[in-house]
Amino acid sequence: MKRGFVLFVIPLLVGLVGCYCPVRPAPEPTHVRLPMGFVANVQFAPWYVAVERGYFAAEGIELEFDYSWETDGVRLVGAGETPFAIASGDQVLLARAQGLPVVTIVNWFRRFPVAVVALEESGIQGPQDLAGRKVGIPETFGASYIGWRALAAVVGLEENDVSLEVIGYTQLANLTEGRVDAAVVYANNEPVQLAQAGYDTVLVSVADYATLVSNGLITNEKTLRERPELVRAFVRAFLRGLADTLDDPDGAFEVCRKYVEGLDENETVQRAVLETTILYWQGEPLGWSDPAAWQETEEVVLEAGLLSSPVEAEKAFTNDCLP
Amino acid sequence: MRRRYTSRIGLALLSFAAFLALWQGVVWLGGYPPFILPSPGAVLKRLGDLLADGSLWFHARVTLREVLAGLGLGTLVATLLGYGLAHSPLAERLLAPYVVASQSVPVVAVAPLLVIWFGTGLLSKVVVCALIVFFPILVNTVVGMRSVERDLRDLMRALEASRWQTIWLLEVPAALPVLLGGLKVGATLAVVGAVVGEFVASDRGLGYLLKQGQQLYDTPLVFVGIGALVVLAQSLYGAMALAERVLLRWRTESFSGVAR
Repeated sequence: MKRGFVLFVIPLLVGLVGCYCPVRPAPEPTHVRLPMGFVANVQFAPWYVAVERGYFAAEGIELEFDYSWETDGVRLVGAGETPFAIASGDQVLLARAQGLPVVTIVNWFRRFPVAVVALEESGIQGPQDLAGRKVGIPETFGASYIGWRALAAVVGLEENDVSLEVIGYTQLANLTEGRVDAAVVYANNEPVQLAQAGYDTVLVSVADYATLVSNGLITNEKTLRERPELVRAFVRAFLRGLADTLDDPDGAFEVCRKYVEGLDENETVQRAVLETTILYWQGEPLGWSDPAAWQETEEVVLEAGLLSSPVEAEKAFTNDCLP
Repeated sequence: MRRRYTSRIGLALLSFAAFLALWQGVVWLGGYPPFILPSPGAVLKRLGDLLADGSLWFHARVTLREVLAGLGLGTLVATLLGYGLAHSPLAERLLAPYVVASQSVPVVAVAPLLVIWFGTGLLSKVVVCALIVFFPILVNTVVGMRSVERDLRDLMRALEASRWQTIWLLEVPAALPVLLGGLKVGATLAVVGAVVGEFVASDRGLGYLLKQGQQLYDTPLVFVGIGALVVLAQSLYGAMALAERVLLRWRTESFSGVAR
């Protein structure tokens, strides 16, 4: 009887206690809104892949894409409003010069993607042939201008040798209409579109003449100091997406369909854009920053007059967050 | 009269000083870094630099030229079309839907196309300005033309006035108050148009200066650019108000004559 009582009561008590003990809930994922610096595009394939394959979720991160301007993203990160953003190396240097404590933690683009493109019929075959020509450039600041200044310095083109005209982001129209002889573009975008439209082009890649820092993932010094586990988790998830995209571009392109409007209608061009862009991401170890590239970028930005004094380029990046 | 003028200036200066003090107080209390909210001192220092090297005046002149040319073009087209619409019910029925639709087209979206069509130079900015000032001036022209009293028209007809005499001696003076109201609005809008054009493609102008400040994270420069645009727009508005006072002096005089 006593034994039966114990056999009945003890499991009952254990069960009741079990019911009252709070079950530890799964931790809430950390929500991160990531300013991308550009519109939804196949060039963001590694990010889409990382989200779709659950790499961010596995790290406890819920990622939301914010297609705002690059400078806005840098400001938000600098002000501590958001922990991460995508920005180019020159932007990080310029922002640090104004007191924004931003740091590049992943050097995503291993080759600087800016180039000068000309139609083959223009007779331009190399950078030296640009002397005496009219060259269109989107802005007199930003990555395009930095790339142009670096190229011009390396090949010895003086400011007066070329008629540089600011044309905004209308390079294709100006080039094909013959309003400019050459245009500063992103090598992984406009030249691909020109080729798909049937134009024969000549491409002068800045990366063949100078080693500059391009797009990367940035954070701020406070996040780096106070939330290193979040930074490392974020970097890990992104690099898995990047590795997958490099291994399987077709699979990555399929993932992009969910995120990029009008991809189906424009598939040939966009597939070519992704295939070309991938060439700019390759380099082992993935995400690594080359200190020499940062120094060279700082020198070009200084020479272009966008910085008035050096900003300690070595503090603008770190490789410590890479796996 | 002079005393009242002096006290008005004093009040304006006092309110500006209070504004600066409030601004400085917000910066102190909030502890904001300059890239979020620069202090008035930092902005004034940047203003001093730009005035000293002449770049502010250079960029302001570029924008002013675009604004004046755009305002002139927009006014010319809008008044001619407005006159036609006011006098021809058929033209109004045919064109009014398009005119109203044109107002709902965001200029920011069209500006890059205008740069492709009209080039990256002055013309594309002038066209953007003209587009933005077109609608308010057109509407005011139509309203002004229709505000002319029928009796006065009949009088001109009875006096066998020619069409040009009717326009010059009756319609223009009668519509002028409303027209000038449209011009005052148009002048300030033209400044916005010039900035939109310069944002798309330019290497000079106050819009370019603003963009440069944004791109270089130079917030004091952004504040100087905004301030310069405000001063430019207010000056244009003031010039239009002055023109209004001079051109409409006859109304005040004739009304006071009637009162006497």
